[in-house]
Amino acid sequence: MHAVARDNGPVAPGPGSLETLLERVSRGDQQAFDSVYTAVAGSVLGLAHRVLRDPAQSEEVTQEVLIEVWRSAARFDAGRGSAMAWIMTLAHRRAVDRVRSAQASADREQRAAARDHSPAFDEVSEQVERRLEREQVRRCLGQLTELQRESVNLAYYRGYTYRETADVLGTALGTVKTRLRDGLIRLRDCLGVTS
Amino acid sequence: MNDSADLHTLTGAYALDALSPAEAAEFARHLAECPACSQEVRELRETATRLAFAVAQVPPPGLRDRVMWSLPEVRQLPPLVVEPVVVPLRGPRWRQRLPYLAAAACLAIAAGAGVWAVQAQRDADRARDGNIQAEQRASDLETLMAAPDATLRTGSMRGGGGATVVSSQRLGRTAFVYHDLPPLGTARVYQLWYSQNGSMIPAGLVTPGRTDGAQLLAGGPRGADAVGVTVEPSGGSPTPSGPPVMVVPIPS
Ligand SMILES: [Zn+2]
Repeated sequence: MHAVARDNGPVAPGPGSLETLLERVSRGDQQAFDSVYTAVAGSVLGLAHRVLRDPAQSEEVTQEVLIEVWRSAARFDAGRGSAMAWIMTLAHRRAVDRVRSAQASADREQRAAARDHSPAFDEVSEQVERRLEREQVRRCLGQLTELQRESVNLAYYRGYTYRETADVLGTALGTVKTRLRDGLIRLRDCLGVTS
Repeated sequence: MNDSADLHTLTGAYALDALSPAEAAEFARHLAECPACSQEVRELRETATRLAFAVAQVPPPGLRDRVMWSLPEVRQLPPLVVEPVVVPLRGPRWRQRLPYLAAAACLAIAAGAGVWAVQAQRDADRARDGNIQAEQRASDLETLMAAPDATLRTGSMRGGGGATVVSSQRLGRTAFVYHDLPPLGTARVYQLWYSQNGSMIPAGLVTPGRTDGAQLLAGGPRGADAVGVTVEPSGGSPTPSGPPVMVVPIPS
């Protein structure tokens, strides 16, 4: 029952190997799952935290998502995208579902209001090894138009629907739909994402 | 034709989970018959995944164990070509554990949240009250985080809480990013210091009453070998009135 491989330190699997690990996980291999945890837990937690803005809820969601990965690893379909994208899609949906539930929304308003009175920001400590990735993402986000960037930010990092996004930005629905799409396409090209 | 042309533009919103459940279901049906949209959604999801990497943070130490311990109790599904749905944790066992989850505060909160938090906060500040000072502070912190020579050192505070000291010799700036500081009441305050060859140089006060936050130190890290934190009477002191509750070394 013990986490294995912990003392080997975090070793991010190279391309393709997360898929291999999931294959082993689907056969009940806990050691493989431990490696999956190492590879994805930080991103799942960080994303959940961005959307939910609450450490306890973010951890719950992270736990739920990882257990779901264990539960349904056999249903990962490599034909539909990478293992990482599959897991992060689970994570995003889970976080978004929670934030859209009425109670969570009420909490979120409160937290957002509290946040308005805070100094610059709370969450700036960072992992050195993530810096390059972040820098690249930031540079690419910088190449979007302001409306593209705002739309992607609200939808992905806040969990807003495109209707809510349009409301918040005071923009037509059709415009937001289009900006989400062409904004992501520009990001895709800038980041060199292939599929 | 028109409807369908309209549907094609939903790839971005769909990839970001920004559609209502009904719209998402309709678009999923469209995906089954539209290879172009399928391919685009695949690519845009991979792109969104990069946005998730960019906000990764360090999981608290207990999380791995909590997940690993629960595995034997979770029955694995057989292969099937069905998109899985995440099932929320329910039941008394999990409810019992929730207090622990809540207590496991956001340890060394991390990461990349910074850049977006800066952007989001800056926009919010600008939109809501035009708080130029906050914007400037956020911008300084953002610049510091992005400095190629920025170093990060983490320490824990005696009595609870912890902090990360981010410093850049090149920019001559240092930030103190703290979490879960034990509250001090109104009469006392946390004070920051640069330690330099054994002498302590005042570097500002932590905003009274705040337990989590980030701030730039007054003055630069040049010549300093550490950042120290002491508890001082409200308003601060010219020299430390007691031993530090935390010392975080700065690489020179
Ligand atoms: Zn289509």
